[in-house]
This record gives sequence, structure tokens and C-alpha cells, in this order.
Amino acid sequence: MSQDVKELIINENHPLFDHTGMFYKEFPSDFRQIRYFTLLIVQKAPPEIKEINLLEQQISEIIKNAVKHGNQNNPEKKIRVWYSFSTAHAHLIVEDEGEGFQGIEEWNLFNRKRQEAFLAQDFENLGNFVSYRTLRSDEHDGGNAMFAAVEYWNDGVVFNSRRNSVAVGKTFPQRRLGLEIS
Amino acid sequence: MDLKIRKHAETYIIDVNGEMDLYNSYKLKELVMKMLEKKVEQFVINLENVDYIDSSGIGALIYICSTIKKMNLKLIISNIHGSVKKVIELTKLMGYFPIAGTVEEAIQKIATP
Repeated sequence: MSQDVKELIINENHPLFDHTGMFYKEFPSDFRQIRYFTLLIVQKAPPEIKEINLLEQQISEIIKNAVKHGNQNNPEKKIRVWYSFSTAHAHLIVEDEGEGFQGIEEWNLFNRKRQEAFLAQDFENLGNFVSYRTLRSDEHDGGNAMFAAVEYWNDGVVFNSRRNSVAVGKTFPQRRLGLEIS
Repeated sequence: MDLKIRKHAETYIIDVNGEMDLYNSYKLKELVMKMLEKKVEQFVINLENVDYIDSSGIGALIYICSTIKKMNLKLIISNIHGSVKKVIELTKLMGYFPIAGTVEEAIQKIATP
């Protein structure tokens, strides 16, 4: 297992912000339709990378963050989604019209402490870092979506400078077809 | 998602059926809080029929788990599998949650002090 701590990055020149060749959709910030919007996007993905519904779940978290935390569920505000999939990769950019995720540095610090507790297998202490909360968090916020996101999206979770757009990417290992000759 | 409760000796088993997502995970939380008010002390949450969980579902499990830990009561989560297991692994919570492979194993774990 890799010991390096994965982080949220801020870099709008990151290759994951290259929109070339990506599909595009935009949605109103309707909280009730988050899973439906997600399905509209994930239907473009080949079954090999869906891992049953793991890809769908990870995409729905990014969309939920944009709708709920970015646009505050304001249906007048749009989210814009760029996406591309192949059997080897998943790439998604989600932009909202909110004020941007100001807590990135704080989140990274929190996540670092969480990782330290995990590596020490100190589950008592880990209990203090299972849920990242802000003043705006409500009881429905698990406060854990991005912990999984930084692990799942192995090409990175990258924000633009305004922090209202997030680009994520994942490379999937390719199964080699063929015979092994001994 | 629907929730069914059955009882084995003093242990209450909650069978969760369906998807634990941002629209319904609060229901499990509410149910457990009601059972705590009624002085239930031993819980098994059975995820055998759950094939989808998101951060709200994980959040509900964290909330339930930490509440029950603080009260020094007993909880085991059973039958974590498939993508539910993957999400919990990605969130690095496999060691945090008290888990068992099956309901029977969970009941046994609760019975042994």
C-alpha cells in the first residue's frame, strides 16, 4: 500500500482541466435529481470500468457537492459537466456557480490527520476524523465523500483557482488478453 | 430502501434492503435513535441486501456507530460486500466499523463479552 497522503490540488493548468474531446451536459441544481443526472452521464461509460456501481457513486458525490455545497441547491444556478470514458479511463469536470470550496487547505490538513490515525491503526483517534464538517454541514452530509474521492480518482482531484470547478480522473488497469507460455 | 427489524434473544437485527443514498440514509439513523430511546442495547445492522451506498449512507453508519460506542452499547454491521465494501475501504473505515461476515457471526460476537 502506498504511504503517500493524497490531497486536493489547486491547479487550473492541470492536464485534467483539458476539455478536449469531452462530452458536455448542464443541469439545474435540483437536489432531487442528482442520481438521475449521474445516470445520464455514467451511461456513456463502458461496463468494464463501472465496477457495478462504484463509478456511478463516485460521480454522484462530485455532482452532489456542486449542486448542494457549490450552488446551495439553487435551481436557477447551473452545474456544467464535461466527461469522457473508455475501458482505460474515466475523466470528469464539474463546474458550479458558487463561491468555490474555500476549505481546501483545511480539508487537506484534516485528511492528513485522518491518514495518520489510519496508518497508526489508531481507530479511537480515527473516530475524530471520520467526518469533515463545516458550519454549513447539515445532518445529511456524511462529510466523507472526498476521502474516498482522493483514493478513487487516482489521476487526481484538482480544483481551479476560483475553486468552483473540480476535475477528476482515474486510470484503470488493463487486463491483458492472451496466453502465458511457460 | 426499507428497514425491517427482527429479534434474536436480546439482539435486534435491522435488515436494510435497497440503496443507502443521499435521499434515504437518514431513515436508518432515525430508526436506531428511536430504538435507543426504547432502551435497545444490542444491534446488528445487516447490509446483505444493500448493493449501493454513498457518503450519506456511510455518514449514517458513522453517526450510528459513534453514538452506540459512546453509550457503551453493542453494534455489529454484517454482510458488507461488493461496491459497499469498496466504498468503505476507500474511506478507510473497515477497521473503524465493528463488522462480521454474517448475521449469525455478528450475534455470536455480541454474545461473547
